[in-house]
This record gives sequence, C-alpha cells and structure tokens, in this order.
Amino acid sequence: MASFRPNGKRILEVHLEGETVRARSGAMIAYSGAVTFRKSGVGAGEGLRGALKRKLTGESLDLMDMAGQGLVYLASDARDVELIDLAAETLQVESSALLALGPDLSTAVTFTGLRGASSGQGLFTTTITGHGQVAVLSDGPAIALEVSAAYPLVVDPDAYICSRGQLQQSFVTDVSWKTFVGDGNGEAYSLRFTGSGVVYIQPAER
Amino acid sequence: MTFELVNHKVLRAAVAPGAEIVARRGAMLAYHGDVRFTPATIGGGFGAGRPGMGGLTGMAGRAMAGESSPLMAATGSGEVFYGHLGAQVTIVEMDGSGELSVEADRLLAFPATMQTAVVFLGTQGGVRGAIRGAVTGQGLFTTAVSGVGQVAVLSHGGTLALTVGGGRVLTVDPQAYVGHVGALTVTATVNAGWREAVGRGSGEAVQLKISGDGTVYVQASEQKL
Repeated sequence: MASFRPNGKRILEVHLEGETVRARSGAMIAYSGAVTFRKSGVGAGEGLRGALKRKLTGESLDLMDMAGQGLVYLASDARDVELIDLAAETLQVESSALLALGPDLSTAVTFTGLRGASSGQGLFTTTITGHGQVAVLSDGPAIALEVSAAYPLVVDPDAYICSRGQLQQSFVTDVSWKTFVGDGNGEAYSLRFTGSGVVYIQPAER
Repeated sequence: MTFELVNHKVLRAAVAPGAEIVARRGAMLAYHGDVRFTPATIGGGFGAGRPGMGGLTGMAGRAMAGESSPLMAATGSGEVFYGHLGAQVTIVEMDGSGELSVEADRLLAFPATMQTAVVFLGTQGGVRGAIRGAVTGQGLFTTAVSGVGQVAVLSHGGTLALTVGGGRVLTVDPQAYVGHVGALTVTATVNAGWREAVGRGSGEAVQLKISGDGTVYVQASEQKL
C-alpha cells in the first residue's frame, strides 16, 4: 500500500509499492528505485466529461502519474505540506494547493458559488472523494479551524486552502461606496462556512 | 564552533585573526567588534601570497566559467551575522576527506582556511558532464570547496540530506539539486519523448542520476537563488 510520510515541514515522502499515485506536475525533487513519471491522461481519471468540464471552467489541475516501486520526495516552492486522511469524505481543495493524492481517491470539478468571481480563484473548485491520504500545500504552517452549527466561520478567500465535511459556503461582501472610492478596509470579500467540518487556511494571502 | 545558526535563515560567524571568514558579497546583515570587509573571489582567497590561491589560472578559469559569485572576506575580530534574501541556511560539516560541490551562488560563507576552485563539469563526467550542465541550465562549471571546516549553504525552503551508497542510485530534479559531498558521479538523463514534444510532459523530463558513495543535498523547492 502506498503511503505518504512527511520529511520535515516541507517535503513529502511517497513510498510506492507498485501502485500509481497522482501528484502535482514537476513537484518531484528526488527519488530512488524504479519509478516512472508521466502526465496524467485526459481528464486524469475523470473521464472525457471531466476533461471537458475542466477546460470550460478553467479549474485546471496539472497532475502526473507516479508508478512503480521506490521512494519519491515531493516539494513545491518551499511551501509547507499538510497531510489529510480521508475516510469516505469529501475534501474541497484549491487546485493550486494540491500536492499529491492516494491511489484510491478520485477528483472532480464542482461549482462553489459566486465567491471566485471577485476573489480571482474562479467559480469552481476541485473535490476529492474516497479513502486515503491527501497532501496539500500551505504557504506557512496550515491552520485547521473547526466549524459547527453553533459556530459558523468566515475566512479570507486568499488564505483559504481546503475544507472537509458537510459544509455550505456562501459569499459575504462588505462593499460600500467607500470601496469604490479607494477607501476600503481591504477585506471586502469573505467566505462564510456553515454546517460541520474543518476548514484549513494558510498564514499568507495569495 | 565558527558558525552557528541564529535561526533558519541567519548565520552567526566568529571572526578572529587567523580565522577569517569568506562570504557572499553583500550578505552581511550586522556585525560587532572590529571587523573589516575586503573583496574576494572563488579560487582566489584574499590578500596576496596566501596559500591555496588560484593565481592567474584561477582567474582565467573564473572568467571563462562565468561561475563568479563575488565574495568578500571578513577580517579582524568580532562576530558577523550573514543572511541572503530570506533563503534558508544549512551548515555542512567537512572533515577534509572529500569536497563539496555546490553552485557558486548558493555559497553563503566558509572559513578562509578552506579552498575553493572552479571545476569544469566535463572533468567529472566527461562530455556527459558538460551536457548535463548545458541541459539543466546549471552552466558548465561548478564550485568545489575542500578542506576542514564548516560551509554555510543557501537553499529555498531548507535542505534534505540524502545518502547515496550500496549501489543505490538516487535521481534528483536539477532545479532542486543544491550540492553534494563525496565520491559521486552525476549524470543528466533526458527522458523526453513525444509527450514532452507535444507539451504533455510530466514536468520531470531532465533528471540527474547520482551514484557512488556520498551525500546529496536537495531543497524543498524548484526555485533558483
């Protein structure tokens, strides 16, 4: 069984035992053993419809397949690596924050609502479902924030990385005439999460 | 101890007569004591008549190589703090048995008693070594540091030391490669097929295959300094 292990804060070790693991293209920094790298095929397991959807939505996900036996070291732009275990759950993640995902997980594109239009992240996000480990990238140590029915959470879209659980997102605007005359407070748009789950944010704004 | 890390990104170095420090030019952050800074170059050391000077051949080599990160020597007595662009600092301990191969612009500081030289990659791996430099964009030359002491090396995101030995071959992304110590052979392999040609490559077309006995340092990023 392929396993993910952190090596320090910023490097992920992927132990391959014959299976195929998908990772961000170009994120390999070193490997030993017999491992081959190739770009994930059209749709990357999402089928032709998935591929078309990605093309149309602009939520591009550039992944490569790593197959074989050996040890692969992954890292990207000296960002911190956060490991998340999924047990038949759904993880919503920004495609720019995805580093690697286990062999038994599948990806898809979903509509997230109008938040992206102004935050520049697009209207769509990537969802990962199944059993296994997901490695996400965070600019600085990631912070996991719990959301429950009694405690909704509001985060900055630029600091948002991913979220898991039964969560609903909505878009909060604090736009007034001041924003348009250049006297805004710099926090005009926010993301509001309700339901129950966990939201991961990074201590940096994109 | 000559070198000590204040944090991941700042190095503290003790300077004394006979224990001068050579560092990347402009990397001084602060100092106290009676310290003066004079220009120096790789393969040259500083001051006239010092042992280990590259002399004219060293100069010619550098000029040809373009491997000429300007350095400066700190003399006098005191304490100097070094850092560069927020890059992480790794201290490599050298016992004199081998030499450290590293890109000149990744060298932060080393004691003046250690020797540096510009090495033509062609002499390491023949024509393939030269091709490696050309293909990976690392240039045809690298810097070799030898002697006993500590060398401070810069990286983006910190380094991971990987041991190579026992016939095991390690493959490294050229952009993540920082340097290596020991008797290692480095060759570039170009794994480009029709997928790369049509723009559907995995992003891992050029790789460095490293075999022999020694330690390889890689960084957690694909950024150059």
